[in-house]
Amino acid sequence: MPGSSETPSRAERWLAGVARAGRTVLQHSGEIAILLRDIVAALVGLRVSLRSILRQMYVMGVQSLPIVILTAVLAGIVTSQQGGYQFTGAIPLYVLGSIVAESVVLEMGPVLTAIVLVGRVGARITAELGTMKVSEQIDAFYSVGRDPVSILAAPRVVAGIIVVPILVAVANLVGILAGMVSAQLTVGLGPNSFLYGARLYWQSWDLFYSLTKALVFGFTIPVVAIHMGLRTEGGAEGVGKTTTQAVMFMTLAVLIMDALFPPLLLD
Amino acid sequence: MQTRPVIRYRAVHKAFDLPVLEGIDLDIFPGEMFGLFGASGAGKSVLLKTTIGLIVPDRGDVEVDGRSVFFGDRRDVRKIRDKVGYVFQHAALFDSLNVFENVETGLPLRRLRAMDGRRVARLVWEALERVLLDPREVMTKLPAELSGGMKKRVGIARAIVGGPDILLWDEPTTGLDPVNTAGVQRQIRRLSRELDVTSVIVTHDIEGGLEMCNRVAMLEGGRLRFLGSPTAFRASGDPIVRAFVDRTAAEAAVDLVATT
Ligand SMILES: Nc1ncnc2c1ncn2[C@@H]1O[C@H](COP(=O)(O)OP(=O)(O)O)[C@@H](O)[C@H]1O
Ligand SMILES: [Mg+2]
Repeated sequence: MPGSSETPSRAERWLAGVARAGRTVLQHSGEIAILLRDIVAALVGLRVSLRSILRQMYVMGVQSLPIVILTAVLAGIVTSQQGGYQFTGAIPLYVLGSIVAESVVLEMGPVLTAIVLVGRVGARITAELGTMKVSEQIDAFYSVGRDPVSILAAPRVVAGIIVVPILVAVANLVGILAGMVSAQLTVGLGPNSFLYGARLYWQSWDLFYSLTKALVFGFTIPVVAIHMGLRTEGGAEGVGKTTTQAVMFMTLAVLIMDALFPPLLLD
Repeated sequence: MQTRPVIRYRAVHKAFDLPVLEGIDLDIFPGEMFGLFGASGAGKSVLLKTTIGLIVPDRGDVEVDGRSVFFGDRRDVRKIRDKVGYVFQHAALFDSLNVFENVETGLPLRRLRAMDGRRVARLVWEALERVLLDPREVMTKLPAELSGGMKKRVGIARAIVGGPDILLWDEPTTGLDPVNTAGVQRQIRRLSRELDVTSVIVTHDIEGGLEMCNRVAMLEGGRLRFLGSPTAFRASGDPIVRAFVDRTAAEAAVDLVATT
């Protein structure tokens, strides 16, 4: 039949789509690998200024503190309430302390902090570097023999690795305290019983697990954000587009890695 | 004796989604003022960027001062970038640095490290004066506080502060009003002479380009549609060249009305 060989069948279109998606994934992976290699080279070659690392730590850490604390407070309260209402007489109420501490430290603290930082820190990095890319400032760095990876990328990644675990530690503490106050107000569980319960099932491993997650997120968020920023094309519109995409990628990355953590670390 | 070209583009090919450059062969000789014309999107900036390796061609190579940009080692690229000043279309000043710091980045890192602060300050000062800016007034300003014309001048100062042998100008007058356009044109001519550099100027402004350059080319359809003297360009009977000249003249008239 004439023409039928011209129009691709549904299966062919599907395969072409898969091939395209595969190519895109490979391209992103390749670019990220090169970015990481250059960041490591910059660090090893001592081409990263301490001052810009400190500056980024301030921007990412100190300036994010209020929103991170607010999120942790809400997370602690919600966990405490949810847990509290499910208690029947059979289980001693102090177990609530353990539920709150474990949920906050293992999940809520690291994940909610990371999600908040995706918006607060990651989007900002992508928009900032994307703007520099489309206004040719990245090219300008190369043209004057400076390396934008050492100047822009490396300090942000180092700062993320240092700052995010600290923020998560703060979030953990604040979340547990908020949960404790909330337990007293909602189900009348006193602080002493709450802490007794929290300690009962506590393992030092839990904190390690929590901060390892934080470290991984603190690395991933700036890396994805920088990668997306540096591949921005097409003016202000392009910046908007890559920033939105970057937020989606970072959020997915955080959630997927969070799901991968238990099988990798809890065995 | 034939002089050796300072820049050689050899069979430069580049495609993004569509082919942009399809085999550019071009030699630029010492001391030239070379004008590159072409419609918007023709690939002028892409070609200019290959000169210092900001864009990597799919095929072909560029040689600067006998050094290969794409097949030499990294040190060659660094030396080339030290010797070439690049003036970006919208100046591309670093947003977070003030004017002094912006111009300072134009000094090659190795030289900068070996210099004391006073010498650096003097070089920056001189570069700003060369582009007719008052160093006292602008030095501590951030790019956001400057007008378009001033940004362009700071961008030029950054390109010349290191004492380049070659200057690459990407649309130095686009977006400027007629007064600023004339000013920047005078500067290009004066700086090229004073600094004894070779200049490649990408421009929309055909009249200005023909007036200042000793040789011009027109990029069209991924190739050099025209290459020769300004006189030959004016006399060219090539319908595509003619159409381009007429269209750009009409656009320039519209721009003039819009900016005045
Ligand atoms: N980094 C890039 N990624 C994708 N396409 C690009 C890139 N740089 C340039 N192009 C495309 O190449 C073509 C030529 O661009 P350019 O050299 O900027 O034109 P002009 O002659 O106006 O300076 C345009 O179609 C542009 O969209
Ligand atoms: Mg251009």
